[in-house]
Formats: sequence, structure tokens, C-alpha cells
Amino acid sequence: MAKFLEYQGKEWLAKAGIPVPKGRPASSPEEAQQAAEWIGKSVAVKGQVQAGGRGKAGIVKLVKTPSEASAAAAEILSKIVKGLPVRQVLIEEKLAIKKEYYCSFVINNARDARCPMLMFSSEGGMDIESVPEELIFKMNIDPIFGLQIYDAIDFCASAGIPNKDLSKFASFLTKLAQVYKKYDCQTLEINPFVMTEDGNLICADCKMEIDNSSVSRHPEFDIKIARDLPGEVTELDMIGWSIEETDARGTGFLMNMGYDEVSPGYIGYHPIGGGSAMMGLDALNQVGLKPANYADTSGNPVGSKIYRVAKCVLSQPNIDGYLLGGFMMANQEQWHHANAIVKVLWEELPKKPGLPCILLLCGNREDESMEILRKGLAELMTPDGIGKRIEIYGKEHVTDTKFIGQRLLALAKEYRAEKDAQRK
Amino acid sequence: MLEIKEKSITISIDTSKCDTCETKACAAACKKYARGLLQIADGKPSVEHLGAEEVLRLGTECLACEIACKFEGNKALTIDVPITGLDAYQAKRGLQ
Repeated sequence: MAKFLEYQGKEWLAKAGIPVPKGRPASSPEEAQQAAEWIGKSVAVKGQVQAGGRGKAGIVKLVKTPSEASAAAAEILSKIVKGLPVRQVLIEEKLAIKKEYYCSFVINNARDARCPMLMFSSEGGMDIESVPEELIFKMNIDPIFGLQIYDAIDFCASAGIPNKDLSKFASFLTKLAQVYKKYDCQTLEINPFVMTEDGNLICADCKMEIDNSSVSRHPEFDIKIARDLPGEVTELDMIGWSIEETDARGTGFLMNMGYDEVSPGYIGYHPIGGGSAMMGLDALNQVGLKPANYADTSGNPVGSKIYRVAKCVLSQPNIDGYLLGGFMMANQEQWHHANAIVKVLWEELPKKPGLPCILLLCGNREDESMEILRKGLAELMTPDGIGKRIEIYGKEHVTDTKFIGQRLLALAKEYRAEKDAQRK
Repeated sequence: MLEIKEKSITISIDTSKCDTCETKACAAACKKYARGLLQIADGKPSVEHLGAEEVLRLGTECLACEIACKFEGNKALTIDVPITGLDAYQAKRGLQ
């Protein structure tokens, strides 16, 4: 899912007519002070990262003056939360809160539902996960007709909203449901939305995630990569996205996995399929190696797409090896992988002579694939050749994560020692 | 030099090397791994029997012709598979 930061989600809510607190983002203490002066009263300073538990992490602070806002922003902007540096804060008016509520719109994947679902609780705010199940009310929403006002009134009544507030809450939730549909959200969570002392309902927080498949319908969002990335977009993520963006001929997925380009023990990782990818990670984890990246060339991609992914994986500097992890008897024709890998290794191994390359390729057309690999790489795989640490395996090792991991580790140690010796 | 453009790749064939090629492995590979775009005409690989649009439609970018030519033919065929941003990525890291 393409995820918005809180302030971005709130901007889109505001454009759709949903009430949000007055506020704006800031990237420095000076900008934070200016924003607080613009608001003109007590403000909340909220760190903007894609992570829950921001209050507990100490990146949400309430302050009374612009200079306090500046100081709070300086402190928050220096923090790293769950591995993510805080690069922006949201400065917004402090609300006079009477009560906090929770609501979210998600996809209900249950077999008998498969539609949007509204979840609501009058116990909103921090620690929503600890609210008892019976206090969280749920309702499936018809994907064609959306949330109707009369259904919303029934729902709110059953959730314990007093009669005098029913139409206010129903109207609020109905509008949010329309936003959820309009923006093709996969998740829209408002925790909390608050009733202020003067009786208004306002979105005090916003978690908005857009369905990746719908991003092309929303150029207004200016989303660069429609993917679930673990952190900030890296150069490798951008390259990976360029492979997939306009080419739907099978999967050619590539993304960074927090690789720092310096530390030893990282492996250029090229699994074939999601299940296979998990087994490959087992192989690496068992021996203490780490994936530099995530990749996937399944769904019968064309050779050029496989080549592009493999070339990018092998282009990562300072990796200690390359693992083509076909830990499944794939039904796609594996000879396309074989041709692509031969081409890539001929091009990239001269830049990384001796790099360990474990090639595990199993499934349809395996015999022909093995022949292509062995014949195409034979000149490289001589005892003193740049491909001396290439090892090719087929179905005899299809699920043998332990063996593959151990071979890769042994070769990686050898390679690292050789490089260290060359440096001396 | 024969240049064939598929959807996202360019195949270049130095056809002057093809006269002495005994295997014509590129065309055989094209037939085995793809849709047989490459055919041999006057001893050289050719796509003249197809229109440019047909080449685009039928081309599967399997790369097999390059591998076949490299190891069974006369090393006359190369395929350029551009990757947006990769040259700059490698250059920054001294990998070119």
C-alpha cells in the first residue's frame, strides 16, 4: 500500500470536506515556530513517521508558545523511531477534547464478506489494541452503494452513541466512507477522532493507505512508488519500480531491505516467488547471512525482466554473494531464468570476480535450464575463473535450505577472506 | 548490422559474421524458446517476413538468441536491455 503521513492524509481529508485541526508540516524548528505563530494558540507538535505508537515514542508534544514549539520540534526532529528518522513534524492547533473515538475503514477479506468494513469504538485514542473486542463495533459496507445514512444511524445507536448525537456521528462516518471509496483507500483509520467541548467532531489523527493497484487512477497524489516499503524510498527502490511500472509481463519485483552497502554478510537476494522467498530467507538466517534486497521474478516473467532484476541485484556494491533462490518446483518455464542469468553473470562478474553465486533453479524445463546454465557459465567456472564460486543446483536441493545456506556461507567466507587478503 | 526493436530491448546482429555460421543457433533458439521471429534468409537471420508491429507483438524478449549465438554460433548477436537509473547507480559506486 502507498502510505500517507498523517499531515498528508489530513490534507486529503480537508479537501474532501472532513474537519481536521488547523495545522501544517514543518521540517525545521524555525518552520515549526512560524507555524505555531500562524495558528496563534497552544499547539501539538507531532513527529511524522510511518509508525504507530508515536505518543509512547515521545514524538508527540503539547506546547503553549511558538518558542516551545520550536524547541519541541528540534527534539523530535533529532529522533529515530523504529529505524525511521523523523524528518517532519506536524504543527497543529491543540483541541479542547471532550471525548475520543476510534474508527477505521478496512477491507474485510472474509470469504462471506470481501467488502469494506467499518470498525468503530467510543474508546478511541492510544492503545486501541487493548480495547476489549465487545467494545469495537463492526459493520460491512456494500461496495456498490456505500455506507447509507440510515445504516450509519442504526450502527451508531447500537454502538451506544446518545440519540441527540446520532445524526452528527452518522453524517461524519458516512462522509469518511465516501472518502475511503473516492481515494481508493485500503485503510483509513482515524484514531482518535474527537468530540470537542463545543460538540464538533474532528479528525485528530489520520492513517491513510491507498490500494497500490489504484495509484495510476490518482495522479493528484503524486505517489512515486506504489509499494509497501519498509522505510524511505531508496535509489534501488526507484530502479526496481522502473522495471515494473510499465511492464506487466510477469513479476519483476525489486526493493531495498535496509542494506547499508558497507557491512559484511549481505547477500544479493533473488528469490523466485513468495513462498520460495521465505525459504531463501530461512537459508540465509540459518547461517547468519542477511538479504541486501528483496526481489521476485515469478508469474512467468519475460527474460528481459528477469535480466533486469538480476542485474540490479548483482549491481549492489560490497555484497558477499548472490542467491538465485528457486526453492519451489515452479511451473513457469525456468529456461528464461537460465538465459537471463547467463547474460547477467557474464556482464557483472568481471566487476566482482569470484563472487559466490548459488543458482537453485527447479521446476518446468529444469533439464534444459540446467544445460543452459552449465554450458553458458562453463568458461567462467574454471578453478581460477571469475565464476569459480558459481554453484548450480536443481530439484535434488529444492527444499534444502540448510544445505544452500551452508554452501553460501562457506563460499562467502572464502570470498571475504580473499578480498581482505587483496586489500593487504 | 541488423537491428531489431522489441518492446523494451534492442537486438543487434552483425550479419557479416553469419555467413560462416554453421549452426544458425539463433533461429533455432528463437523457435524453441520463443515464437520463431528470427528466420534464416540468404544465410542470415532476418525478420523481414514480419512487419514491425508483428515483431513488437510477437517478441517475447527471451534473450535466448544471444545466448545461443554466443555459445553455439559466431558471437554476432548482442541484446541491449536498458534499465532506468542503473548506470547512475553503478557509477556512483564505482562499478562501471
